[in-house]
Amino acid sequence: MQGAKILDERKDFIMFKDSCCGDGKINCEKESVSGAVSQRACVYCGARVVLNPITDAFHIVHGPIGCASYTWDIRGSLSSGSELYRNSFSTDLREEDIIFGGAKKLAAAIDEIVEKNSPKLIFVYATCIVGVIGDDVEAVCRKAEEKYKIRVIPVKAPGFSGTKSLGYKLACDAIMELILPHKDIPKTGGINIIGDFNLAGEMWIIKNYLNAIGLNTVSTITGDANYESLIKAPSAGLNIVQCAGSSVYLAKRMEEEMGIPFIKVSFFGIEDTTNSILRIAHAIGDENAIKRAEEFTKERSARAKEFISKYKPKLEGKKAAIYVGGGFKAISLIRQFNEMGIKTVMVGTQTGKKDEYEIIAKIVEKDTVVLDDANPSELEAFMKEKGADILVGGVKERPLAYKLGIAFCDHNHERKHALAGYEGVENFTKEVNLSLNSPVWGYVKG
Amino acid sequence: MASNYVNLNVNPCKMCMPMGAMTAFYGIRGCVSILHGSQGCSTYIRRHMATHYNEPVDIASSSLTEQGTVFGGESNLIKGLENLIKLYNPEVIGVATTCLAETIGEDINGIIKKFLALHPDAKAKIIPVSSAGYGGTQYEGFFKALKAIVSNIEMSPEKNDMINIIVPLISPADTRHIKDICKKMGLNCIILPDISENLDGGYEKNYSKLPRGGTSIEEIAKMGGARYTLELSAFVPEENSPAKYLKEAYGVPYERLDLPVGLEFTDAFIEKLVSLGGEMTDEIKDMRKRYLDAMIDSHKYNAECRAVVFGEPDFASSVVKLCCENGALPVVAATGSVCKEFREKLGSYIKPVAEIAMEENFAVLDDIDFEKIENLALELKANLMIGSSDGRKISERHGIELIRCAFPVHDRVGGQRTRILCYEGSLELMDKIANSILARKEENFRHEAYEKYFDKKAGKEVENQKMDLKTENLQKTLTHPCYTCSAGKYARIHLPVAPKCNIQCNYCVRKYDCPNESRPGVTTEILSPREAFEKYALIKEKMDNLKVVGIAGPGDALANFEQTKETLKLIKEYDKEVTFCLSTNGLMLPMHAKELIDLGVSHVTVTMNAVDPKIGAKIYKHIDYMGVRYEGETGAAILLANQIAGLKYLTSNGAICKVNIVMLKGINDGHIEEVVKTAKELGCEITNIMQLIPVKGSAFEELPLVSNKELMEIRKKCEVHMKQMHHCRQCRADAIGTLDNDVSIQYRSMLNDDISKAKTLKKKFAVASKSGMLVDQHFGHADEFYIYESDGENARFVEKRAVRKYCSGADDCGESAEKMDLILKAVGDCDAVIALRMGDSPMRKLKEKGIEIYITYDSIEHAVKNAVESAIKL
Repeated sequence: MQGAKILDERKDFIMFKDSCCGDGKINCEKESVSGAVSQRACVYCGARVVLNPITDAFHIVHGPIGCASYTWDIRGSLSSGSELYRNSFSTDLREEDIIFGGAKKLAAAIDEIVEKNSPKLIFVYATCIVGVIGDDVEAVCRKAEEKYKIRVIPVKAPGFSGTKSLGYKLACDAIMELILPHKDIPKTGGINIIGDFNLAGEMWIIKNYLNAIGLNTVSTITGDANYESLIKAPSAGLNIVQCAGSSVYLAKRMEEEMGIPFIKVSFFGIEDTTNSILRIAHAIGDENAIKRAEEFTKERSARAKEFISKYKPKLEGKKAAIYVGGGFKAISLIRQFNEMGIKTVMVGTQTGKKDEYEIIAKIVEKDTVVLDDANPSELEAFMKEKGADILVGGVKERPLAYKLGIAFCDHNHERKHALAGYEGVENFTKEVNLSLNSPVWGYVKG
Repeated sequence: MASNYVNLNVNPCKMCMPMGAMTAFYGIRGCVSILHGSQGCSTYIRRHMATHYNEPVDIASSSLTEQGTVFGGESNLIKGLENLIKLYNPEVIGVATTCLAETIGEDINGIIKKFLALHPDAKAKIIPVSSAGYGGTQYEGFFKALKAIVSNIEMSPEKNDMINIIVPLISPADTRHIKDICKKMGLNCIILPDISENLDGGYEKNYSKLPRGGTSIEEIAKMGGARYTLELSAFVPEENSPAKYLKEAYGVPYERLDLPVGLEFTDAFIEKLVSLGGEMTDEIKDMRKRYLDAMIDSHKYNAECRAVVFGEPDFASSVVKLCCENGALPVVAATGSVCKEFREKLGSYIKPVAEIAMEENFAVLDDIDFEKIENLALELKANLMIGSSDGRKISERHGIELIRCAFPVHDRVGGQRTRILCYEGSLELMDKIANSILARKEENFRHEAYEKYFDKKAGKEVENQKMDLKTENLQKTLTHPCYTCSAGKYARIHLPVAPKCNIQCNYCVRKYDCPNESRPGVTTEILSPREAFEKYALIKEKMDNLKVVGIAGPGDALANFEQTKETLKLIKEYDKEVTFCLSTNGLMLPMHAKELIDLGVSHVTVTMNAVDPKIGAKIYKHIDYMGVRYEGETGAAILLANQIAGLKYLTSNGAICKVNIVMLKGINDGHIEEVVKTAKELGCEITNIMQLIPVKGSAFEELPLVSNKELMEIRKKCEVHMKQMHHCRQCRADAIGTLDNDVSIQYRSMLNDDISKAKTLKKKFAVASKSGMLVDQHFGHADEFYIYESDGENARFVEKRAVRKYCSGADDCGESAEKMDLILKAVGDCDAVIALRMGDSPMRKLKEKGIEIYITYDSIEHAVKNAVESAIKL
């Protein structure tokens, strides 16, 4: 901590694991400290991340152009069909719209889209100023729905209205609005994959696993999803939730309002992947699927373990720092690093929950720093102090790591290779090795 | 490895000695060269150099002819020198031999002597080089010329303060960079050769064909008195080394360094300059810092690089070194020159980085051609090539990007400005490497992941299902009396549930309601869906051969879609085998086509009287679409577009479609063939051309009738395009066809699958988990429990229980005080509870109930197994 500039009001958000006390007392689930340079994003961002992978939807950002520009096709969600979602649509509000209101412009924008295309689904994201200037986005959307007999769903997500988590919730509500009218379609007993956004094809990997054990996927929310596939979601017999942080709320609503039970799963790391596949088979209760799942996971986990053991001599004894969005991902990364023989010396999250920090405190070693909503100066100070060799984080943290001579691994939406499933274990291990053991560090440190 | 020729060079990875010699002479001030040989040599070399440097390149030739070849080229060369002087008045003339000159045994020293004897007042310094094309590559030619330059120019004997820097073939921009660095460090250096100006000149109003830049004779004359020589080449043979010559002839000490590309080689170069008294400036330090920073920024991308590096030994060696320092793996390092040291040295650079990448195979080869390089590149899965534009064929054929940073670059601009030397040049090259990897990634990662992970067979199944549906529907066609002439024994029923119409045809009036009249659009009653169903059920009971239910108005089936849908649904529930047939004008078809398929409608008839809105406008008075009334061509165009879109969807999703055409004399009779062709293109099965039934009060009341003969003729004409219907009876909207025929009823047997399972003794666990993966929640905080069973061997997930479901009434579900009761209810039937932590009170209560308790942090599955083994029992 020597030399590290920590703001007084930030001190409670930092915790040191010591030998006697693993109680995990940390301040979290609070608003960011003003002026502290938080790494967090906004409500609109949260909503956009969850909904954007719907490939054949028009995602209209209603507001001034910035929000649309900064979120235009920067995510790694893949599509097996339409590429529409990789476009940016914005009402690009100007000064006169701010004065006279932007609702007319939005309505006209929707008219144009309908005229030039045959959209089935439009999302309208209302960003910060929209509510302030008094645009009734809901009314515009409702009118358009009536006029065109298509779905036009408003997502009122002004950035200032909360954290990214609220954006996730708004997105889940938007999905419910889309699928609720179809809630009485006949049940088929298949599975919905919820909370996977098909980054680098990860949803496809999970779907392949289900396929391999003889289970049918109904709908994927929202990775590689489209209008037709989404409205089938109510016919599923089970929801599996991969990214609980963003999507468990949707699963809960579907359970309550449609009677579809859900289970949480995780496909990060060998252990989680294996347990998740088995759990799904058990939940469905099909003896054949259970048998196939047992065989499948046995074979694939053995292969993945062998892969890691080859790399382990190159990785053992290294020190990792983690700074990610949610607590569960941080926990999962600590466990994955353990599998590689890498010790986690610093761990932080943007929006971790109290009980998640408690778990973190339990599983890290003595002297590990735990941070909530950290800023760059803290990250710098603690990575230096703890002698981290690699940082796992988002792209925002990358230049900092490099400036400090620390290896880096991207575990965010922009990743270009799959980190989920057994395939992801291999990719992650390779990436960690190539960065950690790059000859470049020899020159930097020498 | 694929076969490579032993006695054949396929696609050469090198050039000839005169080329090198000519380039070297271009770095001498006021120098123009002459090639003693045939004209071609000079022309090709000029062309080669000019396209790379984008500068005029003037090289004379002695233009040996057959006579000169037979009798010696002496007079040719003398003449050549004379003219050269006249034209250019150069200070220096380089005379290089070629294959031809060397082969015929030309004594150029003798010829030059003769020339000087003939022209005693000639001022130009003439420097001869023996550079047979076959004697080596441009690499050797280059140094031979340099050696000739230093050994032919008379040196000033007195010692001076200069440092000689001998460089191999580097770009003009790199030459400038070297000069600049020396200057920055406060050193007086003589760069030999200095092509910085002559092969990368700026725009000037008065073009000077005589190169005005370069190393001057005066400077060269000082090289013998210089205090040191640095030769930036690790591979030049000693006999061609200018540095060695200067040492031997004038005692100038020297050191040969690697071409300063990459960190270590540049460090060595800069350190050497410092040791020679150069000042290590902040600016140079900053350059190094920036490069290091860039190395870090890009190392992840570089780590994915599998490069093929090819070119002159110094170039290839130094670039390979740069790659290795950055974690990029050079899978192929190749030079076209013969160079044993190249092979030995480069292996030691590559090995460490190959080990990091867990890669055993890489190739270092000299004296190589592009065929071999190509085979190796494929075999070793290269993803990048670094060298000259000569690698472009491989690049194009196999989609491996090529970084063009060595001479020659023919298919891009800027070869003369390409930098690879010292920190800044290294940084530029490294950016290109990283960007190439990035570009590839950005372009391909979606597709690659799609190919790798997306299950395309799943899509095929859908396709097959569509095909299956079509087969099934075609089967139904066999019992559909309207579609199959020979199916007359089967019956059909038209249910009049659709009163509204959304278009007005000029031949139609629907206000009549006469039971004796038989034509489309007529019915005696309108049925509600429920009534229609009851009617069907009643008739079906009496009429086993009733196969087809049709909705044919009296309006438009889709203008009354809710009624149509409801009717079909009711009947489908009652009779799964029924064939649904529907006729429509097609206006609302795109909106409902998918639902029709889903409802099981197998046969759809669309009345499409024209495929040209101009003609359509004469037939349709107006259409009512999306709340707007459209007339004339606009209306007809909308109708047509929707008919086409709808039919296309239906036919591509397995439905059997028929197109009805009402033949209207003088209006569409000449157009019918076009309509039939369109129906064919849309994938329809059959068209039905019908006579107009003139209706009183309709706009076409007075239209002349079509005779049977005319009808038969047009059907015959259209028969070549697609199947025609000949047996249409133009039914009413409530028609019921009754043809007697027995159909056996098939009963489906239901199998009772009563497999009783032996019950084994199992323990049931309730696990408090927030994440769903781990035991990570307080017992008292749990909103849900993961219920597991274990028989002692395997843990098996049973269900997830939400605590709130154990709430039996409002009183029961108050604030947290009562929550514990719900929790206890939720786990009441379990043998054990596993949680992260638990309060004393619930612990007591559970124990009272005889429920075991396990406190742990672990993955759920593991914790259950452990609990069974009672490893952590409290």
